[in-house]
Amino acid sequence: MNNGFTRKASAILTYGFVGLMAFLSVFPFIWMLLGATNSSIDIIKGKILPGSALATNVSAFFTQVNAPLVFWNSAKIAILATVFTLAVSSLAGYGFEMFRSRHRDRIYSALLLTMMIPFAALMIPLFIMMGKAGLINTHFAVVLPTIGSAFIVFYFRQCTKAFPSELRDAAKVDGLKEWQIFLYIYVPVMRSTYAAAFIIVFMTAWNNYLWPLIVLQSNETKTITLVISSLASAYYPDYGVVMVGTILATLPTLAVFFFMQRQFVQGMLGSVK
Amino acid sequence: MSELQLKHVRKSYGTFEVIKGVDLDIKTGEFVVFVGPSGCGKSTLLRMIAGLEEITSGDLTIDGERMNDVDPSKRGIAMVFQSYALYPHMTVRENMGFALRFAGVPKAEIEQRVGEAANILELGPLLDRKPKQLSGGQRQRVAIGRAIVRHPKIFLFDEPLSNLDAELRVHMRIEIARLHKKLATTIIYVTHDQVEAMTLADKIVVMRGGVVEQVGSPLDLYDDPANLFVAGFIGSPKMNFLKGVVETGTDGRQVRLPEFGNATLPIAAKEAAPGSTVTIGIRPEHFGETGSASLDLTIDMLEHLGGETFAYARHGDGEMIIIETKNGRGLKSGDSIAAHFDPAAALVFDAGGQRLR
Ligand SMILES: Nc1ncnc2c1ncn2[C@@H]1O[C@H](COP(=O)(O)OP(=O)(O)OP(=O)(O)O)[C@@H](O)[C@H]1O
Ligand SMILES: [Mg+2]
Repeated sequence: MNNGFTRKASAILTYGFVGLMAFLSVFPFIWMLLGATNSSIDIIKGKILPGSALATNVSAFFTQVNAPLVFWNSAKIAILATVFTLAVSSLAGYGFEMFRSRHRDRIYSALLLTMMIPFAALMIPLFIMMGKAGLINTHFAVVLPTIGSAFIVFYFRQCTKAFPSELRDAAKVDGLKEWQIFLYIYVPVMRSTYAAAFIIVFMTAWNNYLWPLIVLQSNETKTITLVISSLASAYYPDYGVVMVGTILATLPTLAVFFFMQRQFVQGMLGSVK
Repeated sequence: MSELQLKHVRKSYGTFEVIKGVDLDIKTGEFVVFVGPSGCGKSTLLRMIAGLEEITSGDLTIDGERMNDVDPSKRGIAMVFQSYALYPHMTVRENMGFALRFAGVPKAEIEQRVGEAANILELGPLLDRKPKQLSGGQRQRVAIGRAIVRHPKIFLFDEPLSNLDAELRVHMRIEIARLHKKLATTIIYVTHDQVEAMTLADKIVVMRGGVVEQVGSPLDLYDDPANLFVAGFIGSPKMNFLKGVVETGTDGRQVRLPEFGNATLPIAAKEAAPGSTVTIGIRPEHFGETGSASLDLTIDMLEHLGGETFAYARHGDGEMIIIETKNGRGLKSGDSIAAHFDPAAALVFDAGGQRLR
């Protein structure tokens, strides 16, 4: 009896806790969805029921924001950052794992140490560098610093450990050069690793705020995250419009995630199977 | 024609020498098996032949042409790996044709050669599957097929059967033997399975610690090992090794065995110096009810395998020896027996393990 009681109590506690956590993580989304249908005043008052201001908010958003340009900027940055980061990091991860050298582990440790440096400490030197290179207010300035991602190199190297070295040997016997092995064997075999890295890098680049805020100064170059933030920090912010913008800004990352979900999970579990 | 020669071949990783000067001649069409304990350098030597490991010093020639610095794909070899190493994202057909596609062989010819190999290995119905959808034995056959398609001069196998279960291993072993007969191509095969070595090889190369201990036909190695290591390595159950002292007896040289109640046996080895300690090697099946030499033993334990019996026996509390007998079903542990053998079947080794003749 006693036993049954404790079990029940612990079940209630567990589900209560899990339920609370689920609510906490889902609530902002719900609020975002509901907010898009309410007027700014209602949102401030704390109304969390569906309202009737959706059409007004949407049309207000599209009049206040040059949506095609802003989304194009975001997409361009996110896609360039993702493609370059994946290309560079997977090559680096492959190289670190496949080629023995006396200095390999020292270089690798140094690379990993760069993860410890907070971005705030890099910001000013980076800005000066970009200024000298004449890249301020260009998308290149946003993309370039993200490409050499120590974390993604680390991720690729760890996953490469599971890449069977006999595959590389077999490919050599079959007459492939190193770059062909990489392109025709490694890339397809590791595609779920690429998918997982794609999602991580794409989302980070798409949501990136601080660095673009610093280097992108004209309205023509600004991304959706910057624009939403400037809407929200206006003198009289229209929160309904902000919510519409937020929903629209979430859609691409959602799409990417759902599109690659299965590969992503596989990639996180270790891609070679 | 595909003769392969290794001359003073060495391999070091940094300061660590793995292959310590190997000389070897392999003739066209020969089935050569490398055996030896784990870590002795079999795979390394095979990979050096394949071109997957650099040769630190010495020469590798195939058909008289020095191959040390030739690309693996241009050496006329094909390799079958222990893990099969099939490309997981390609179908069986694509896997088999991949090397040819890279070599620029016309499509029709690839098609024809893949079909031919698929026929030999009965892979026809599997051609459009991915490796993931195949059983271990089927994957193994695809890996062999991928090698055949290239029409190599030399096949290299690195423990190809070690990932298969016992039954399949026997089956594939026979299939490989049949394949060798059919293609008559040189095969170099690494294994640590004795039975594979004995049954497949024309020539066995026994290695230890990066050195070739002996090269010879399976039965030569079994009957006439050059040293204690080869004698102990080839044959299962292992050859018995008895410690003895050489003496001059009434009719020639003899060996006294202190651990076996000072039993003596005459030996023919002229190189054995009186007074020296030697090791006598006798195979388990050489014991029986006849033979002029004999040991008085007490049976400690028995293993009845049906067809034969292995008796573990010793004299007093001396060294344990193994006796193999066809009619041992009546034996019980604790029985005292006289194990006879023909002194001519006993091999003599010096204290350093070299054979004395
Ligand atoms: N890349 C390497 N760097 C350093 N040492 C190595 C390397 N590859 C192999 N070795 C060493 O070389 C020796 C021979 O290895 P090898 O793989 O040839 O053994 P093997 O005879 O095939 O053994 P097994 O039967 O276990 O496969 C081993 O001692 C191994 O530790
Ligand atoms: Mg090996």
